Formats: sequence, C-alpha cells, structure tokens
Amino acid sequence: MSDTDSDSEEVRTDGTGIVPPDDETPSWQERKARHEGLSRLTYEYFERARREDQDLRQQSSYVERDVLAFPTWPHEMIRNLALVSFFVGMIIFLSAALPPHIGPPADSSSTPAIILPDWYLYWSFGLLKLGPLNPDISLLGGQKLMADRTYGVLANVVIVGFVAIVPFLNKGAARRPVEQPFWGAVGVSGIVFAFTIAVLSVKNLIQMDSHLLFDLTFLLPIVSAFLSYAVLRSMREGYMFNLNRRYYRLRPPK
Amino acid sequence: MADEFAKGLAILMGGGLAWLTLAGWYRTPSFEGSGVQLVAPVETPATIYGEIGIALMDVLAWFSVIGALTFWVVIPAVEELRSALDERSG
Repeated sequence: MSDTDSDSEEVRTDGTGIVPPDDETPSWQERKARHEGLSRLTYEYFERARREDQDLRQQSSYVERDVLAFPTWPHEMIRNLALVSFFVGMIIFLSAALPPHIGPPADSSSTPAIILPDWYLYWSFGLLKLGPLNPDISLLGGQKLMADRTYGVLANVVIVGFVAIVPFLNKGAARRPVEQPFWGAVGVSGIVFAFTIAVLSVKNLIQMDSHLLFDLTFLLPIVSAFLSYAVLRSMREGYMFNLNRRYYRLRPPK
Repeated sequence: MADEFAKGLAILMGGGLAWLTLAGWYRTPSFEGSGVQLVAPVETPATIYGEIGIALMDVLAWFSVIGALTFWVVIPAVEELRSALDERSG
C-alpha cells in the first residue's frame, strides 16, 4: 500500500478493505530508510507483523468497519451516568427506608456454639469434611496415610489446581456455551459442585441424612454435566444456531 | 416481544421493591436472628399512614405478580391465539 498504490487503486469508502495509513504512520520510504543494524531488525519484525495482520484480515470474512465503538463522551458517559444514578439512588433509598439493624458488639470472651466462615468460603470449608473419602490403606494395616484434616487441606490444593489448569486446556474461544458444549458442561458441573460442597460444609443445618447429602454432593455435579451437555448439543442443532450465523461471520479473525 | 418482557420485569421489580420496603416496615419484627421476616403477622398500625401502607402492601404484592404474569403469559398467549385464528381463517 505505497502512495502510488493508493493513487492507482480506488479507495473504497463503504468501510470495507484496509484503511490507508494516516499522517502518523511512517511512509514506506521512511520504513525502508532503516536498512542496517537494530533499526533494520525492528523494521523487519514490525513489517512482518503488519504483513501477517494484513493477510489475516484479507483472508477473513470479518466485516471491517471504520467505527469500532462509540466515543466515551457523550455516548458512553451518558449511559454510565444513568447506571451510576440508578445504583446510587437504590443505595440511598434502601439505607433510608430499611436501615440495617446494628447489633451489640461481639463478645470476645465467649465462643459461639457454631463457628462458620463467611458464606463465600463454604466450599473450602466443605472440602475439609471429605474424611469419608480418605482411604484406609490395607498395606498399612487399615491405617490412613494421612490425617483427615491433612486430606481436606490437600483437597483444596486439588480443586484450586484444577481451576488453574482449565484456562490452559481451553482458551475460551467460545463466546457462548452452545459453541463448545463439553466445556459448557464442565463449567456447569463446576458451579453445581461449588454449591453442593458449600451445602456439605453446613450439613448440620441441613434437614437431610448426612450420608445421602455426601453422595449427592458428588452425584449432582455429574448429573448436571450430562444434562447440560445434552441440552447444549441439542441447541447446537437447532434454530438458534442458524439464527446466529451472522454473529459468527462478524467475529474478528483468529 | 422484548418490550412485553421489559414491561413485565419493570412491574415485578418496581412493585416488588415497594412491597419489600412496606413489608420490612410492617411485617418484620426483626431482621436479626431466625425469626420470620416480611410475612410475619401485621403489627397493628398506630397512624392513618400505617393503615394506608398496609393496604398498599397487599395491592403492590398482587400488582407485581399479576402484572408480570399479564405481560409474560396472558398477552403473548392472546397474540398467539389471534395469529392462529388468523391463519386458520386466512
């Protein structure tokens, strides 16, 4: 796309095609002036990157647009102002109409009967109660290799490790679950397991046989994984998939 | 169709918030502990404003439920029925 090229070629104004470089972009002459040493190396590097980007853009069916987004002012700011006003108004309304009751200060000299972590840590607390899964090893004469509490701490390591590994197994190219039903099912089972293990952590408050609750903790995630996989696969075949073809076409190049 | 959903949702949220506030005033002895909240027996109001609030509470509860069902179920069903009848006659 040198200057002579852009003169001979008609510039398309419908937003398609490669946008010609503006004044800030170095011209080809400026680029080629860097013909030795580090400047040549960096020039070649960036030129190759630019060339690959151009090739990918020409190969893809992605519709290039001059307008990539709305400007911050006024469009985005007015929308943000509306959202901020709503939430600030809601906070003011609730704090005025339903002020929270402030209880007496905590008594540090007496320990409460039931000690629980905050609700968002129930899953980790539930993993400490996996004693029944800790195997009795017959080689050790029916003894356990490690204490139940050590086992529970190691279970935390396993779960956190799995959560950390998932992004490396699947890079998240899917924008919605129907595109990758398997990983959608993995996600659903993870959410269900987070809930069931949290329920297990407060099993003394649940009106249910504790053995049944323990079994359900691990069965429900598996069942929900199979169910969501089946539902997502059937959705793939269906009407929504055709309806959203345009959405796939508009996707940026890989 | 999306408009009908938004109308139903707005009614449910707006009416529900107003009901929640009034029920927090008149039908909740305490938010602490394991007592009944929002649906406890009505405390006897001392003022005319209290009586208005209690009357309004039931109105708002039914308004949010029936209003949402109207826009989500009744109106779409009537439209489906109407288009089905049109197809049959046409």
